[in-house]
Amino acid sequence: MMTAASVMDPNPSTLRPTDVIGTAARCIMDHRYRNLPVVDEEGRYLGVFGVNCLLRLILPKAAIIEQGLTTMPFVRETLGQLHARFNENENQPISVCMNTDIETVQPETPLVETLLILYRSRASIPVVEEGGKLAGMISYWDVGRKILSAPVE
Amino acid sequence: MDGVSDMQAIFGIDPAWFAGSLFVLTYVLIVTERLNRAIISLTAACLMIIGGVLTQEAAFRGIDFNTLGLLTGMMIIVGITRKSGVFQYLAIWSAKKVKASPWGILVMLVLVTAFLSATLDNVTTVLLIVPVTLLITEALKINAYPYLFAEIFASNVGGTATLIGDPPNIMIGSAVGLTFNDFLLNLAPIALIILALTLIPLYLIWGRHLETTPERRQRVMDYQEQDAITDVRLLWQSLFVLALVVLGFMLAHPLGLQPATIAMFGAALLLVLDNLPRTASEQSEAVHKSFCEVEWTTIFFFIGLFIVVYGVESTGLLEMMANHLLEMTGGDRTTTTLVVLWVSAVASAVIDNIPFVATMIPLIENMSSSFGGAEGLMPLWWSLALGSCLGGNGSLIGASANLIVAGFAERSGQPIRFLPFMLMAFPLMLLSILVSTLYVYLRYL
Repeated sequence: MMTAASVMDPNPSTLRPTDVIGTAARCIMDHRYRNLPVVDEEGRYLGVFGVNCLLRLILPKAAIIEQGLTTMPFVRETLGQLHARFNENENQPISVCMNTDIETVQPETPLVETLLILYRSRASIPVVEEGGKLAGMISYWDVGRKILSAPVE
Repeated sequence: MDGVSDMQAIFGIDPAWFAGSLFVLTYVLIVTERLNRAIISLTAACLMIIGGVLTQEAAFRGIDFNTLGLLTGMMIIVGITRKSGVFQYLAIWSAKKVKASPWGILVMLVLVTAFLSATLDNVTTVLLIVPVTLLITEALKINAYPYLFAEIFASNVGGTATLIGDPPNIMIGSAVGLTFNDFLLNLAPIALIILALTLIPLYLIWGRHLETTPERRQRVMDYQEQDAITDVRLLWQSLFVLALVVLGFMLAHPLGLQPATIAMFGAALLLVLDNLPRTASEQSEAVHKSFCEVEWTTIFFFIGLFIVVYGVESTGLLEMMANHLLEMTGGDRTTTTLVVLWVSAVASAVIDNIPFVATMIPLIENMSSSFGGAEGLMPLWWSLALGSCLGGNGSLIGASANLIVAGFAERSGQPIRFLPFMLMAFPLMLLSILVSTLYVYLRYL
């Protein structure tokens, strides 16, 4: 049976919770990652840090909290002001803003179920073993390449 | 009481005992918050019928559909109106009117919150105002706590001022037949005085220390409030209907109409205006969304509660309690009025004021003969309204709006803690009740 393990990247780039936001942000921008997994010293999965976390850092809190402002067409801010807001946080560890509640799959999760979760998450999804260890990451590109290179049945 | 004269509770238990125990259990469960309050009240209501205290017909008679209709109608109107962005516009406009000075903004947001709470419900008001407050305080880089604290106070004080401002007023108005104008003439003046007085300690404690830089103030001044209006057509339609509804409330008495009819007609009219340009399938979706804006949890909570209280009342328990209260106060109207005011305030600070008021209404009605009929009860009604609405300021769990604000504070990383809040809020609430005592004494006693 095809499972999550058959389409994952078993050696993804990872971040540590103590990495600072500025460094992680440069890594994400340079490699155009959407989400990078965050793991502890033993390789246990803790969460993900990615472009959405970066956006969350530069948007006003009033908009990103639950039941916050749904629209803000009246706010005028320049690129420089947004950069300044980002700089206020760049020396903080990523643990303060990593995303810990995204859906994950297990290595043995069936392929189509994995694709459905990938579709819903709209970003790379972590593959986590039963004991909590990170087994790999699944991105659109890995899955797409594997499906398109498989012989048609 | 009709339909309940031949009562026989289940398993031969005395109906008064059964209803009384169920009532106390309902209160205890609501206080513990282990189960959602709507589930508790509905279950208790059904048990009142199954247990034989009330027939289904009698239970339905106990439901105050005027309160439910008024609440539902207003929720639909506000749900549609808020989509226009008018409330954000109002908050930003008011902040810019005072040149984004931190204390000026606090005063303006207090006034806006109080005004909106008087014309809409408190929960909706804080849901609309708090996010804008957080945006502004973030831009000014100042602590949001004084603003959120002040808005909690403003929402409860503002809600005291009108018939539609706070659920206790809606319930009292509906049960006693008091009009929108009665509330406006009797409670709005004292609400304004209390609001102004509350600003003094707020200034001394926080206001005079609030500071920011000219650059940060400029950020707020750069907001384009007119861009907050996302739908101009809807804006004018909503304001037209809201104005019509308020006018309707004012003229309700000469027109011979009840508040529920006016609110429901306003809701229906706004739904017509909002949906006329849409296709049939778009209308289904839009109407469904509008009805989703109604807080059905609150509505079902009310339904259950009305039945439970009616069940207790039907057994004569509340009449007994009323007589006890009269014995304690020596049957003196002044003493009874002030006891109602202070007990309502302290009780509403710690328990939900909706079940409290639902219980107090029939209890006070039972005192009618001792105080020379309905007219003699007027000071007690105003005391109940003042005590139960203002009492909500006494603690973080005193009113639903307080909890909504606390939730926002928590999510924005500036939590409002129960005890520190109460240490400030309870004395301020007592101050407002002291002022109310003077007002009630001088005006009605």
